[in-house]
Amino acid sequence: MKRRQFLKSAGASFIASSSLTPYFMDSFAFGEYANLSKVEARYYKKHPDREIECTLCPRFCKLGDKERGYCGVRENIGGKYYTLVYGKACAIHVDPIEKKPFFHFLPKTNALSIATAGCNVNCKFCQNWEISQVRPEQVRHYDFPPSSVVNYAQKYKCPSIAYTYTEPVIFFEYMFDTSVEARRKRIRNVVITGGHINPEPLQDLIKVVDAIKIDLKSFSGDFYHSYVKGKLEPVLEAIKIVNRSDTWLEIVYLVIPTLNDRPEEIRKMCRWLRKEIGPDVPVHFSRFHPMYLVKNLPPTPVSTLEKAHKVALEEGLHYVYIGNIPGHKAESTYCPSCKNIVVKRVGYQIMKIELSGGKCRFCRTPIPGIWS
Amino acid sequence: MKLSKVAIVRGRGVLSSGSMIDQKKLIQMYTRGFQILTEQSSLRESVSVFFRPRERIGIKINTIAGRKLTSRPEATICLSNILSENGIQGKNIIIWDRTNRELREAGYRLNLSGAGVKIFGTDTDGAGYNSGLISHLNIGSIFSSIQSELITASISFAVLKDHGLAGVTAGMKNYFGTIHNPNKYHDDNCNPFIPELFDSKFIKRKHKLSILDCLIVQYHRGPSFHSPWAKRYEALIFSSDPVAADFVGWQIIEKLRAEKGLPSLKEENREPQYFITAEKMGLGRAQSKFIQIIEEEV
Repeated sequence: MKRRQFLKSAGASFIASSSLTPYFMDSFAFGEYANLSKVEARYYKKHPDREIECTLCPRFCKLGDKERGYCGVRENIGGKYYTLVYGKACAIHVDPIEKKPFFHFLPKTNALSIATAGCNVNCKFCQNWEISQVRPEQVRHYDFPPSSVVNYAQKYKCPSIAYTYTEPVIFFEYMFDTSVEARRKRIRNVVITGGHINPEPLQDLIKVVDAIKIDLKSFSGDFYHSYVKGKLEPVLEAIKIVNRSDTWLEIVYLVIPTLNDRPEEIRKMCRWLRKEIGPDVPVHFSRFHPMYLVKNLPPTPVSTLEKAHKVALEEGLHYVYIGNIPGHKAESTYCPSCKNIVVKRVGYQIMKIELSGGKCRFCRTPIPGIWS
Repeated sequence: MKLSKVAIVRGRGVLSSGSMIDQKKLIQMYTRGFQILTEQSSLRESVSVFFRPRERIGIKINTIAGRKLTSRPEATICLSNILSENGIQGKNIIIWDRTNRELREAGYRLNLSGAGVKIFGTDTDGAGYNSGLISHLNIGSIFSSIQSELITASISFAVLKDHGLAGVTAGMKNYFGTIHNPNKYHDDNCNPFIPELFDSKFIKRKHKLSILDCLIVQYHRGPSFHSPWAKRYEALIFSSDPVAADFVGWQIIEKLRAEKGLPSLKEENREPQYFITAEKMGLGRAQSKFIQIIEEEV
């Protein structure tokens, strides 16, 4: 692809997405509280004296009356726990599925992508902190109930809906109900998550969604504690649960210079992945850019990403990618048997697909994924 | 070594008739509190110790728990009157909290007019969170423009309460209401987040005075209101040392808990370790031996 052609196609994609949300990432002026939702949350326990315990994510927030959870979007009101963001989307875009990234799921299609405010962790390197690290009344949002989401997906010819940008776990009820409605219209659902969720809600979720991408942010508990404000173990458990299900799984690892880029840590992670979920789950090593509270580090050198890529291949993983480096050869999918390119990508563009019935067209090796 | 002075002014009967407040007694309580701290003979002189005449003063109140456990409107208005009658222009005083909704629910009548004391929340049009991301130690937050831009000096007028996560919430934690993401700072008993937030430039440089509303103290099951453990304590606590003021408040909560046979906060694994952190950071005193408590009744 020529540079001019690439820029042209990238520009077209941007127009499609920006036309849906003219105020996305707008200023911090915020609206009235009254416009938030008051839908009872699904996962919590009631305790005496109007206290509750949230059981949605591994934080298990214990909250008194009028208090909100760590996520900032669930509130105890008089001893009942409510989600304040049901049907309150703060970001609505049409994105290529490759942007999520999903590389083995309906390539060359668009996903209607939505988010609400809030997150249950606080990554110091968050790329969307303006919407993830705020309360819902602090960001402009839209009334966008599940039926409207599905209608928009149909209108914009999106075969899937992506729950993304912030942390979909915190808008679980909205995501779940939208997914159920979407399936009735034969639209698929994909989730882009940090995987910080308890097993019970995750088991419920995987019954109604088709693919989950989990951001494994490090293989170090200390890193999770210091830079994510979360825990590693629940994320590893979530990876195992999704892998055991029929829901398609991909893993992303954002490589941050000096913080989680040690080859031995990456090797350890790859060994764990191969042992626990096998060699066929795609793993993406993505480039970090300085953001939010980590602005003192440079973007990840390409050589660092290539080292991680090499380590993963050495450890026997079959589908290893490098992300956020448009045009890099490791953006494409290679048949693990004959080594030919079976899906050639440049940025978010699919240049060619050499698959037939989910198999390599050259040697007939099955390439795992949901291809159609 | 200079001791941090904390004044506890009791006003027995200040809440005597139902929910009404004895205004006369309240004024006496404030007067004594200011005088004990400053050792000045007049209120005007006392006020001038803390504030210059043209200062724009923010009175940061705490309304999250609603009408029954808020910085009481009568007490807040009384404080603003004392300031405006003693050298500070009323138009330069802002009584504020996070949202207009919380203020209204707590019994405050919003006032945005140019004249007189103003009362409004950060979510008022023209205010908002607009100072850009401030990164300080473990804190990464956007501040209310009221705290960052509109005011030049601050009084934390908080309610003394037990807190399920922090152990105790009082004057320092009240400043959680100045940032957009307080929900991110409740891990590990809010330690080190409470002192680190206080240490940030928009708070430490502007904070002049802590006054704790102890008319009713929630000594258990806080920070929301639960009448079985809400004591009509009928006191105000004053200090220019934010740590010492809260530390003395903590001791009151422990005393009230012990009187009711409740376990100490330490026994409930929520002893407020943030006091130790605050003292180590040089924000004030968190040891009895360094605090001079002067308790009086009016």
